Amino acid sequence: MDALPLAYPANLWDRIYDIWLFIAVVIYLVVAIPMLYFMIKYRYKPGKNENGAHIEGNNALEVTWTVIPLLIVIYLATQSFVFYRQQRNAPKDAMEIKVTGFMWGWEVDYPTGKKVFAFFSPDYKIPEEQKIVIPVGKPIKVLLTSKDVIHSFYVRPAKVMEDAVPGRITHLWFQINKPGEYWAFCREYCGTQHSHMVAIIKAVPQDEFDKWVKAGVSPSTSKIELASNVKEVQ
Amino acid sequence: MAAVGVYRPWYSAGIKEWIFTTDHKKIALFYGVTTLLFFLIAGLMALGIRLELWQPGLQFVSPETYNYLLTGHGVVMLLWWAIGVWSAFANFLIPLMIGARDVAFPRLNALSWWTFFAASVLVLLTLIPSNHIKMMWTGYPPYSLNDDAGITALYVFIIHLTGAASIMGAVNFIVTTLRMRAPGISLKNMNLLLHGIMAANVIQLLGVPSFAGAVTMLFLDKYLGTNFFNPNLGGDPLIYENVFWFYSHPAVYVMILPAFGVFSEVIATFARKPIFGRISMVFAMWAIALLGFMVWVHHLFTSGIPDWVRIVFSYTTVLIGVPTGIKIFNWVATLYKGSIRYTTPMLFTLGGIFMFLIGGLTGIPLALPSFDINAQDSQFVVAHFHYVLGMATTLGAFSGIYYWFPKLTGKMYNEKLGKLSFWIIMVGSNLFYFFQFIIGLEGMPRRYADYPPIPEFIELQHIQTIGAFILAFGIFLSLINWVISALKGKEAGANPWGSNSLEWQIPSPPPPHNFDRIPELPEGWDPYDYDHHRPQYT
Repeated sequence: MDALPLAYPANLWDRIYDIWLFIAVVIYLVVAIPMLYFMIKYRYKPGKNENGAHIEGNNALEVTWTVIPLLIVIYLATQSFVFYRQQRNAPKDAMEIKVTGFMWGWEVDYPTGKKVFAFFSPDYKIPEEQKIVIPVGKPIKVLLTSKDVIHSFYVRPAKVMEDAVPGRITHLWFQINKPGEYWAFCREYCGTQHSHMVAIIKAVPQDEFDKWVKAGVSPSTSKIELASNVKEVQ
Repeated sequence: MAAVGVYRPWYSAGIKEWIFTTDHKKIALFYGVTTLLFFLIAGLMALGIRLELWQPGLQFVSPETYNYLLTGHGVVMLLWWAIGVWSAFANFLIPLMIGARDVAFPRLNALSWWTFFAASVLVLLTLIPSNHIKMMWTGYPPYSLNDDAGITALYVFIIHLTGAASIMGAVNFIVTTLRMRAPGISLKNMNLLLHGIMAANVIQLLGVPSFAGAVTMLFLDKYLGTNFFNPNLGGDPLIYENVFWFYSHPAVYVMILPAFGVFSEVIATFARKPIFGRISMVFAMWAIALLGFMVWVHHLFTSGIPDWVRIVFSYTTVLIGVPTGIKIFNWVATLYKGSIRYTTPMLFTLGGIFMFLIGGLTGIPLALPSFDINAQDSQFVVAHFHYVLGMATTLGAFSGIYYWFPKLTGKMYNEKLGKLSFWIIMVGSNLFYFFQFIIGLEGMPRRYADYPPIPEFIELQHIQTIGAFILAFGIFLSLINWVISALKGKEAGANPWGSNSLEWQIPSPPPPHNFDRIPELPEGWDPYDYDHHRPQYT
């Protein structure tokens, strides 16, 4: 196996997960062990402890368990901030694709004008021409929007998602480092076929991708080309 | 006229007196029985959902029906059970705990209940297939304006009616607690449950109008051609998400703060100790209520809002962990050097704290955008709120029902059946929800009627469905226990727990006017004082 993680920015999510899990398990033990110990030790024994001790509180203790959790959560939010910048901001050399959600499926536009329609599939069998092909080992920036209701594009191996909102352009980025087929799900409830609104992302080597993305398109008629022509006229 | 008088206790009142009653105990029973029935309905809907998820593919229900079941389960569990059940507790206990004969506005109280009843009828009408609403309890536009989502007006009016009932209840409970306390009961020494209920109702009073506003805009957009949420004409669906969560996030504290109150009452009684750090417990509750209004954007962490807003709200959201942490530490410290009686309510309370601990620890990463980017709208979120809202709230409510069952009915519940029910609920719920965390981390989205045949998904769904049925069986045992015990239970007496709290100093069930004389409590009275009072435990 090579040293590269399967996908970016999933590596960052794995790190925040490890940090949280460690802290959560420690806090859990700090609470649960004394709790169990007290529950066993101080159970009611007739004649021995008819009533509990009259203890109203302890300021030092209460300050401790206010300040330490406060420091922990501020650390966690700051650590998350550091990772989040990288999870959200695509590398400069990223390839842009446009993904538009609709009820129910995805319309994918490539820079060359190539278009893929990934329709919903009740049996989760996706035909070859509906797979979203991307080059392996290259960052992909996805510009998202929707034609009707709110959808959400979740790239399972990369562990990122973002909503596709009508009237807005949102974004996410990912990079897959191993050729293969991966799931993408709609993760914002969008109606009857919501659970069938899945797509397959197919990561292929760069040269294979180049061949695929140029096949069957004439650049002058593509929407993206037209849009850039308009810009030149202005 | 029967409209204002209270002639008979609830167990011997005629039908006319029930219909025209303004007695807080009868209205509490109305609320309690209705919310339990709806809890049962929503629970059965959940079993339908679990059955469908057993295997990939659609075996039992169509996606339309599945989406309706999910919508119904969400709406009813949240608005009827997790919020509604506390109206029963508030109605029954506030006057008894503060030494009053009724709430401040008895007729408003009756109106609140009948409004809630109207909403209940509307919800039952959605059971008719052509009335199915499928917009989930969140009702996000533009989907909720689409015909695929069902009848928008039905959803809007259900929210309006329960909202109106909540506001009437909130005004009543807040005024009663503030103005009608018997001499000697101050905000400092009153029961912690009353602080929990009051904080929850302050949230209701400030928050519900926001939710009502959001669904009103939905209604205007759909039927009168306005464009609040239509992007083609300058609207923005994200406005709805913001206005909706401005109430609906604080609403989770409406569901859990009274449960915190029950935990405190029960722990103090059965550890026979004052609550550790009582004043910090009160501050923690009010801090949660206040902070609750400053965190709603964490529901929008992947919604397309600017990244810097997400960062700001991640800091405010993690702060909630501090007061909730204080509460857990204080409960554990209350057990220290206690004299712990393991009755059924105590088991439910300790179980509730345990579930809340797991729910709280798994809530922290959801406040971190870098974690949430993979967890938003996944089953991980669902598991998290079933630990905190699903289980901690339900165990709190069950603990409260067992604890005050002798007061309400005068009978004792069946201890063995109660404990059995508790252990089955704990096994079932943890089997169910713990594996829901794992499937969520594997990427399984929420609100999926069907799922791709990924092997680990199938295995994890099997475990969850088995857990769900065990959980349902445990809950069923408790329901049976209450029905049988109310009919055939042993006489409980006025104060079976030997508590120093005021509601236990009057006969069970309470007489129509609660207190013959308004009690006057001596200097230094404390409902959790077992040192000076030394009551005997039986």
